[in-house]
Order: sequence, then C-alpha cells, then structure tokens
Amino acid sequence: MHTEHTIETSAERQNRHKAMEAISVINALREDFKSPIHSMGYFYDLFEKVYCHHQPLHEGKAKIGTMCIQIPSEIIYALDGVPIRLCNGFYTDDEIGGDLLPQKSCPLVKATVGWFASDNFSDKPDITFSPTTCDQKTKAGAIIESFGHTVIDVGFPRTKESEESRHYWRESVKSFAVKLSKFQGKKLTRSNLESAIKKVGYAQSLYHKLTEFRKNKAVPILGVDMFLVTNAFFFDKIDEWISAVEKLVVELEQRASEGVNVAGKASPRIVYTGSPPIFPNYKIPLIIEQSDAIIVADETCSSNRMFNDMVAVDEWNLYDMIDSVSDKYLKACTCPIFTQNDDRIRRIIQLVRSYNGDGVIYQAFAGCQVYEMEQRSVLAAMEKEGIPILYIESDYSPSQHGQLTTRVEAFIESLKNRKRMKK
Amino acid sequence: MRYFVGIDIGSTAIKISVADENKNLVGHKISASGSMFYKYAQEALAELLKELGIDESEVVYTVATGYGRKLFKEADENISEITANAIGAQQAAKSYGNIKTIINIGGQDSKAISLDAEGNVVNFAMNDRCAAGTGKFLDVVAMNLEIGVDELSDYHFKSKGTPLSISSTCAVFAESEIIGLLGNNHSVEDIVSGVHYSIAKRIVKLVKRVGVKENVYFDGGPALNDGLVSAIENELGHKIFVPEYPQITTSYGAAVLACDAFLSESAS
Ligand code: SF4
Ligand code: SF4
Repeated sequence: MHTEHTIETSAERQNRHKAMEAISVINALREDFKSPIHSMGYFYDLFEKVYCHHQPLHEGKAKIGTMCIQIPSEIIYALDGVPIRLCNGFYTDDEIGGDLLPQKSCPLVKATVGWFASDNFSDKPDITFSPTTCDQKTKAGAIIESFGHTVIDVGFPRTKESEESRHYWRESVKSFAVKLSKFQGKKLTRSNLESAIKKVGYAQSLYHKLTEFRKNKAVPILGVDMFLVTNAFFFDKIDEWISAVEKLVVELEQRASEGVNVAGKASPRIVYTGSPPIFPNYKIPLIIEQSDAIIVADETCSSNRMFNDMVAVDEWNLYDMIDSVSDKYLKACTCPIFTQNDDRIRRIIQLVRSYNGDGVIYQAFAGCQVYEMEQRSVLAAMEKEGIPILYIESDYSPSQHGQLTTRVEAFIESLKNRKRMKK
Repeated sequence: MRYFVGIDIGSTAIKISVADENKNLVGHKISASGSMFYKYAQEALAELLKELGIDESEVVYTVATGYGRKLFKEADENISEITANAIGAQQAAKSYGNIKTIINIGGQDSKAISLDAEGNVVNFAMNDRCAAGTGKFLDVVAMNLEIGVDELSDYHFKSKGTPLSISSTCAVFAESEIIGLLGNNHSVEDIVSGVHYSIAKRIVKLVKRVGVKENVYFDGGPALNDGLVSAIENELGHKIFVPEYPQITTSYGAAVLACDAFLSESAS
C-alpha cells in the first residue's frame, strides 16, 4: 500500500546525485581492475567521505577558493589558509550550471558555477581568487560573484614570453598576496613562505617519485588512480595527502621490485592530454584503461601540469621567493590559453619519449575553445613526430559512453597492431 | 442494471474494468495476454462477469484500448491508451484533486501525459525504444537479485548506503551491470535503490519534456512498488498520487468512456 514519504529537498537530491556519481567511479576503481593497490584505499575513502557523505575536512580553517592552477598554493599555505581548487567534474553540477550559462559553455565551468548556484559544498570557500585565464573561467568568476560570494580577479597575461608579462604577473601575485594577507589578518613572512614552498615542493617531489614508476615496463599504478591522487590535492589536508602518498611510494617500490603490472602484456602505453579529468568525470581515462591500455603520463592541469615544475628559489628573501613562485606559475605553465604554446607540444613529445608512449589521446571538452583550437597544431606536430594520436570531444554527460568506447577501442587496437608489426 | 466494460489489451497483460452508471469501478481483472490474446480476453471477460454476478446482457457498451485493441471485435468502440489513461486517471483521482500530469510505466514502455484544466490531453512523451525503466526491467532486476518483484520496495527502504546507479540504458547490459555489482559484494538494498533511482531519473526527464504540473498521478503495475514511488517523488521534488489499483487505470478509463458514450447516445 502507498504510504506517505518525506520528500528530499533539492539540496538533498543534488547531494544524492553527486554521491551516486562519485560512488560509481570509486567502485570502478576499487573493483574493476587487477592488482589493486592497498594504499590507494586512503584516496578511495577520502573521496567517498567528501562526496558521498559530505564530510567537511577543514572546519575552523579559512578556505581559499582558487580557479585554475595559477593561484600559488604556497602563498595560501603560508598565510594559513587551505586552497580549495574549484575545478569541478560533476555532471549534476554541470546540469545546474547549464541553466545559468550558454548551453555551449565548457562543462567544467558550468559545473563550477552550478556548484555555487546549488551551494552544496562540504567545505565552502570563504573567498575565491580567479586568475584571468580562459574567457569562460573569467566570466564565471563574475557570475559566482553575483551569487553573493567574493571573487577577486588576479590578472593573468595571455603571453608568457615577454618581460612585460612576467613583470605584470609578478605584480599580480604580489597584489594577491597583499589581499589575502589582509583577509587572513596575517603577514606573509620570509619564514612562513619558505616553509610553505618547501612543503609544496616536497609534495611535488613525491608526485615525481610516483611518475618514475610509470616509466617501467611493468606499470605498477593505473592512470586513473594517479588522477585520483592528484585530484585529491585540490582539497585534501596537505599533511595527510603527503603521508598517504609517502605510503603509496613505498608500496609502489615494492610492486616495482616484484614486477607487478596493472596492465596487460600487450597494453599500449598512452600519454593523455587535453581538458583535465576531474573527479568524478573520469569518463575517457576509465574507457582507456578498461579497453586494455594504460595511461603512463599526462599533460593536464589536473595532474602533471600541476605538479611538473617546482618553484626554483635562488635567494631565500621574501621578494625573491614571491618572484620565484610567480615565475613557476607563469613560465612553466603549458595551458593552451597562451597565445603561443609550443611548450605544450614539446612537453607532450617529451612525455611520449621518456615514458615510452605508444600513442596520445587528446580530449577536449565540448565548448572549450582553447583546447579545441589547439588540437590542430598538436595533431600536426604529432604527425610530424610519427606519434599516433586520437582526438576526442566529450562532455560530462554519461550518454555517449558506447560511441566513445568504440572509438577509443579502435585506436587502442590500432596501436597494438603497430606494436606487433614493429617486432 | 446497466454496466460498462473497458478492456485494455497490453503486451503482457489484459486488464478489464467494469463500471456502473455512476462510473464507479465495480470490479476488475488482470490476466496474462499470452499468445492468443483475443481468446484470452474473451475468457477473462466472461470469468469476471461471472465473478461479479453480472449477466452479459447487462453490459451495454464496451470500449477496447491498448495495443491489441483492434483485435477485440466485440467492442463498440476503441480508443488509444493515451486517452483512456487520461480519462481513467481523472476518474480514479477524483477525491484527490485535479490531475495535470500522468506518469505511466507499463510492461514495455513508459509515458508521460500532460493535461489541460479541462482534462484534455495536450502533450505526451513516450519512451518505447527499449525495456529500460519499464516493468519488464524491474522483473529482470528482481530475477537477477533472486528476490520477488513485490519485495523490491522493502529492499529499497532498507538501503543505508549510497544508491548504486545503473548506467546502462539497455536492459540486457543493465543485467550484466547488476551481476557485476553483486559479484563485488554490494548489498541488494543499495542495488535496488540504485535501480529505482535510475528509473526515476529517466522517467522524470520524460515528464520534464511535457512539463511538470501538479497534481501528478502515477500508474501502471510498477506503481505498486512503493520504493519506486518514493524515488520518483524525490526526483520530481514533490508528491505524486498513486491510485488503489494502478494497473487498471487505462481499462477503467475505457469503461468510463463507454459509460459516457452510451449515455450521450441514448440522450440523443
Ligand atoms: S586548462 Fe588552463 S585555464 Fe583551463 S582550467 Fe586548466 S589551468 Fe585553468
Ligand atoms: S577546459 Fe577550456 S574552457 Fe574549460 S576551463 Fe579549461 S581552458 Fe577553460
């Protein structure tokens, strides 16, 4: 017999939708692959805690929202804040944002706006800093501001070669530091910045250790697991992240010495690039690794690009450190928003070489102009180098799964054939 | 007494309703369509009338509906199931209020119907491409989980974890997804609630195509599943009305129409 039910509020419904999205990816990682890694359990649990059970991690701390990777987390940590990167991968939020932005916008941006529109954070940022990178991100900042949230633009140049842009960016970072320091009521000092640079640098060095194992013939860790680890850095407590990754390094050392391979003997080695895989939108990476290939490296702002280059300080004085930090976020960045971007092509080729890649898969989010546009030059460059590449356009919706799988599988099979022919 | 019969010949079941002159439901019967549904329909009707103690001569008007309606030659008239569904729903929900939106999940398809203030059908949307999200789909799920269809609701409300969504839109693939989840030791409860929410999400998308207006009425056999009802309510964000016998709305609508047709004919 039909009984009275209490009906979820729309916030509860959104959270359930997000939990359902999250758990299906977490379950796939936990269950669908051979030789699971014990110390990945920390990360699976972390994502489940935050996205299925809505547990806050940073109560009592100032949460500093960042859009993109260019806002220096070193300065945020130095000023006793927690950086929360707002790049969002939920289809639920993408759909909400879709009502507020043009339908053809980038899903990442829609999802970030949708997140604020629905206000369903487990750790809501207290203030957000938005670098003026791609147009959509920049405009999104203004929309989020209209919801009553404080968003501060941080001027970011679109060229990185010139001295002028370097100067401009260094000034931007200084003014960001001043604003944040006011907000926090705390001074940026030589000692707090130095220890923050060292801590973030140590975290990066751990990431580099992880990537080294992926150069091995037998790859001990999945690419999707790596994305999860790097995505956790968006919001996790840095000390806990560090100790979890330390354990992971130890386990991978062990696995590497035993020759554990998470892939098959013939699995093609893929270098992944393009619009960033952000939890739980692991659609393409999951398809790749479920189709008997292995992602050995990536060039994306949610992983390798975020961790690749470290802050290089020569003088440990406050202003020297700020300049060094600034340079790292500008000069080393290979984001396609830059007018000239040969760096990115060079980086991809270098990754293919050093990780012994068999091919490149390039995903662009439908609606992301810069990745869509840069696809041509990257494709041409790969062709010149004789590196097979597959270009895919996709969004966050679960609907094209079948078609995408067919395309990816065909590409992977062609790579396998090439490998066999070579022998 | 004069009686009116509505007979709905669907793909999986034959539903018959008998109404009196005040359009009240006096009895109904559901039986499997099987392979010879014309014969089965006749037999079922005869049995029902016998059970109700109604003589065949007292049946003055018969309306057939459903996908096999044209094969039932004794009918005085036949109408589409959309219209019959709309009429039946409004009659069945009379005490509840004005129905504006109907959700119907059948054995092999699902539909959403939108009505205007006068109760006319203004729009409808149908998902008949595959069995995903239909009664058949729930049968398959229950079979894979080795539980009865009527137990699904209990399992739904016992779920404590996150509902495990089924992403395949195809019943065949969904089956292997469910088997995979079971193989990985996920609880039947979380799978069941995930299935319900997956169906609910899909049906709510369909409803949004025709526009959601209150009150919302839900019928078809799967409406007996209270877990599914609750999932649809949560997805819609408001309450829905489920009639006492959700499987027979369409045949009841046909019987109501039979009554109207007869009375207007004899009046003229
Ligand atoms: S691609 Fe560049 S602009 Fe876009 S989110 Fe990543 S870092 Fe930001
Ligand atoms: S994917 Fe493209 S459009 Fe989207 S945020 Fe990144 S650079 Fe901007």
